[in-house]
Amino acid sequence: MESSFIMLLPIVFPIIVGLGLLTVKFKERKKREFWVSAVIILNALIALAVIFYGPKEMFTAFRFSDRLSLAFRVDGLAAVFGAMVSVLWIITTFYAFEYMKHEGKEDRFFGFFTITFGVVLGIAFSANMVTLYLFYEFLTLVTMPLVMHAMDGKARHAGKMYLIYMMFGASLAFIGFIFILTYGTSLDFVMGGVLNPDLVAGNEQLLRFVFVMAFFGFGVKAAVFPFYRWLPSASVAPTPVTALLHAVAVVKSGVFAIIRLTYYSFGTDFLRGTWAQSVMMIAAMITIVFGSTVALRTPHIKRRFAYSTISNLSYIIFGVSLMTPAGLTGGLMHMIFHAIIKITLFFCAGAILYQTHREYLYEVQGFGKKMPIVFATMSIVGFGLIGIPPFAGFQSKWALATAAVESRLPLAYVGTGVLIISALLTAVYLISIVVAAYFPKQQEYPAGYWDGVKEPNKYMTIPLILLTIASVVVAIFPAPLVNTLQMIANGLL
Amino acid sequence: MDMNLMLPFLVFFPMVGGIVGYWLGRNNKKARNLFASAVTAIVLLGCIMLYGKEAYFMIPNFCGLGLQFSGNGFRMVLAVITALVWFFTTIFSDEYFAKNYRNRNRYYLFMLLTLGATLGIFLSADFYTTFVFFEIMTFTSFVLVIHDESKDTIRAAGTYLAVAVTGGLVTLMGLFMLYRIAGTLQIDLLKEAVYHAENKREFYIAGGLTLVGFAAKASVVPLHIWLPEAYRVAPAPASALLACVLTKTGLYGVFALSGAVFFHDANWGMMILIFGVITMLLGAILAVFSVDLKRILACSSLSQIGFIMVGAGMQGILGHHNALAVNGSILHFVNHSFIKLALFMGAGVIYMNTREMNLNKIKGFGKDKPLLKGIFLMGILGIMGVPLWNGYISKTLLHESIVEYIHILQEAGKSATFFRTVEVLFLFAGGLTVAYMTKLFVAVFVEDGESAKYKGKYMNSASATVLTISAAICLLCGILPHQIQDTIAEISRGFFFAEAPEHVVHYFSWVNLQGAIISICTGAVVYLFFIRKCLMKKEADGSYTYLNRWPNELNLENKVYRPVFLTILPFLGALVARSVGSIVEGIIVLLKTYIFNNDDGKVIPPEDAYFSLYSHDAGARSGFREGLAKSLLFFGIGVTIAMLYMLL
Repeated sequence: MESSFIMLLPIVFPIIVGLGLLTVKFKERKKREFWVSAVIILNALIALAVIFYGPKEMFTAFRFSDRLSLAFRVDGLAAVFGAMVSVLWIITTFYAFEYMKHEGKEDRFFGFFTITFGVVLGIAFSANMVTLYLFYEFLTLVTMPLVMHAMDGKARHAGKMYLIYMMFGASLAFIGFIFILTYGTSLDFVMGGVLNPDLVAGNEQLLRFVFVMAFFGFGVKAAVFPFYRWLPSASVAPTPVTALLHAVAVVKSGVFAIIRLTYYSFGTDFLRGTWAQSVMMIAAMITIVFGSTVALRTPHIKRRFAYSTISNLSYIIFGVSLMTPAGLTGGLMHMIFHAIIKITLFFCAGAILYQTHREYLYEVQGFGKKMPIVFATMSIVGFGLIGIPPFAGFQSKWALATAAVESRLPLAYVGTGVLIISALLTAVYLISIVVAAYFPKQQEYPAGYWDGVKEPNKYMTIPLILLTIASVVVAIFPAPLVNTLQMIANGLL
Repeated sequence: MDMNLMLPFLVFFPMVGGIVGYWLGRNNKKARNLFASAVTAIVLLGCIMLYGKEAYFMIPNFCGLGLQFSGNGFRMVLAVITALVWFFTTIFSDEYFAKNYRNRNRYYLFMLLTLGATLGIFLSADFYTTFVFFEIMTFTSFVLVIHDESKDTIRAAGTYLAVAVTGGLVTLMGLFMLYRIAGTLQIDLLKEAVYHAENKREFYIAGGLTLVGFAAKASVVPLHIWLPEAYRVAPAPASALLACVLTKTGLYGVFALSGAVFFHDANWGMMILIFGVITMLLGAILAVFSVDLKRILACSSLSQIGFIMVGAGMQGILGHHNALAVNGSILHFVNHSFIKLALFMGAGVIYMNTREMNLNKIKGFGKDKPLLKGIFLMGILGIMGVPLWNGYISKTLLHESIVEYIHILQEAGKSATFFRTVEVLFLFAGGLTVAYMTKLFVAVFVEDGESAKYKGKYMNSASATVLTISAAICLLCGILPHQIQDTIAEISRGFFFAEAPEHVVHYFSWVNLQGAIISICTGAVVYLFFIRKCLMKKEADGSYTYLNRWPNELNLENKVYRPVFLTILPFLGALVARSVGSIVEGIIVLLKTYIFNNDDGKVIPPEDAYFSLYSHDAGARSGFREGLAKSLLFFGIGVTIAMLYMLL
């Protein structure tokens, strides 16, 4: 039990250091870069060590009452989420060093950036609903300054919107939390759910209603339709934030919480085949098509990717909503693949923005040859997101679709069709960028068009290359990953 | 079955070779071209080494489900043809691209990547593997089509990609369903599953969806819109690859579905037959109207694909008596590849010298060039189905298979009207083939024209050699039908699980010659009385001009597909999405109006100034009253009440 204490370290350490960073003003950029990268790498290593070698039992840090406690546990799902976040955090940090040069106010940025790392790991490692909920709220607060970083009108508006949506979602989620407290045997996460059948009897419909509310509550962070609005407007944030938080950490915390809620709190047996499941599936399907359609009509590259994120998050939720182990496996696969892919896409968009200050699709015509690494990586991961074999994304979509048809729900068949339609839309909205960059329709360019159009430096290109290689490797050799995820989905890890 | 390492080697070696070649080409272009030729030569040798082996290989877990290859019979034949076509066009590319071409390095890279992917398709043992390489091939070949980067090219390549990707995704949907129903995607196992299925309806739906992607690639009507333009604008070696091999990957899928999965299934066969007949006729008609050399060849490919589909359909309808149909479709598949190889490379030679493809501009180019004339003549006679050339053999077999079924129907006392019509249309399409090929030949090699001015050396010896060999193959296969054609058919037949023909076919017997004679006569009539009268105009100086009389209104792509998919559907989709989105938005606006309503009834918009208490300097109280904090407070109270109500 004593050694379990170490679980707290990767959560607390960055929060304390981050708070410290907020008070310090670095004179030299090099010095800050050294300290920040040291802290992030060290913390990521601790987190990975805890995940792979750390204790598996629960660690209770603090007890409010006999039922409410602050507890942590690294189970399979936590391990997958934590490991994904830790690895991507390191890469993003290096990218951010370069990118933030043109945004300024880096002291504040890196302070909150470091704190957020701890908070996300807190979400990952939390062992019960109280802890999850606390860190979930905390995450909203610490990411706010990151969204509003530029502090101009647009950014403040986005920040406010972000806050309102998040608070609204959290309040719905809170209701869910109270009901689990009332009707469950405990608040701990147990695969299969914790509802007390004696108490549930007679109140099934009410509980299902509460589940749907809580689903939408957590769904706000996962940008489920109709609560998606904050995500595209939050793309005014600096690119590392959009990439890491709004494609990986924050939004996937939402998905993660939904998985916890569905599989570990309410339990799939209680929900499978009911209207609650149908609502969840339909919401996911609408979001998938909606996100892709709007992405197609959005010429602003970063916002296009943001809509694409909305659509892809619902792929995961669709997998989760199948409420079968196969569905969860597919969802988790897509969670990981999409994380790698979308972070790369945002980095590419950020690199273009950083070098040339161009943000719109029609402004990047012919850039392909001038920024070969940026566009090559964008194409490769883009193919993955479309679902072109053998790149990443194809396997996850395959897994999702086969899980859907195997679940034998009539709605799931529709879902497979939705996946295909969305894949087609994805193809159009991503390929059109790639084609415009490599095969421009424009043959003559105004003066000054090529200013600054060149490859960014190695702080940006190396993360891009690493991520692209990672996406190809997980795509071609998915077996170890898939096996792990299958074990998690079957409750073995 | 042993694991045969040759199969993955054939697939992945060209891909690696392409990347190495790209790196080589940055410094030394000569070395890269030699290297690329060497790679294709090695692949060709490797494919030939598969002969007579029951090669099988699987890579478990690769890309998820794992890849399975098999290299027996028909697959081996296809691999050899692919490698041969690639080898020849690579040698030819050296000269073709030498002048005025940019981005050659990119071309070679994607050309070799496409080779690997194509072999991956042809050697695949299950549909999953087929699909993986099918998608790779779509994207790599897209780069080949778009090579010139002109406006026309970008448009045509865009159409190609759109059709191929859409088709591919529909196929994917079909595969999901097949996988769910049958639990496997292995072609052999699927056959068993379908054959023993009680209720085939689900299989028809799944199979039909799977067919779409393959049909799109094979450019079956109405998914043919990409083909004429893509062939026309692509560089000639790439057009040759497209015509000889890449569209055939689609046909491979059609064969696998109709020969193996829907084994002896008459309903399925009927569907394929109908699509085949339509494609065959439409392609031929389009070709008659075209005035661009490469476009004529492209439309001709379309038509020939229809012929092959007719065979694929007939073998399903004929069931156990399908030997002729099977042999016919396999042989037409093979023969068409060689014919088009010679013709497209020949077209490349003309383009390389004149930079023109319009018949009026290249008129007379080949008048005093006997070698080129001979090469074209071999290909043209082959595709016309003139006895002694290879096309005759396969067309005769296809024709005989239709006749055979008419006999069967008559013996059973059933009406054979439908199949009589099919036979007539078949012979008519053959006649149109004769007509448009005559038009082409007369324009380039017989008539006088401005292009007669190109004298002297028009291709180097390497190109001349590969062109001559490909042309010679057409003749050789036709002269020795039993030795060459029957052997190929015998090797390949296993793919369709077909039996050998009951007796040896006498290709040059009177019965079989009749069909060819009817076609040739029809063709002569069409050429003399339609093409020369309606599609050509006599100028003042006695020469003829070729006219493009095809009405613009009949362009399916511009009049239907593009408006629907580029304007109407996105507009509707966005409209629906936006309006659904704005419903939610409206609620929020309503809430805002209510929450931010000030005491005197004035609506205060949620300005950023009220965002926090500190930002408003007119006193903290009003900041609280008008700001976000108030709304949140009210909201919190509301939620608490709602929750308490539900709990109690």
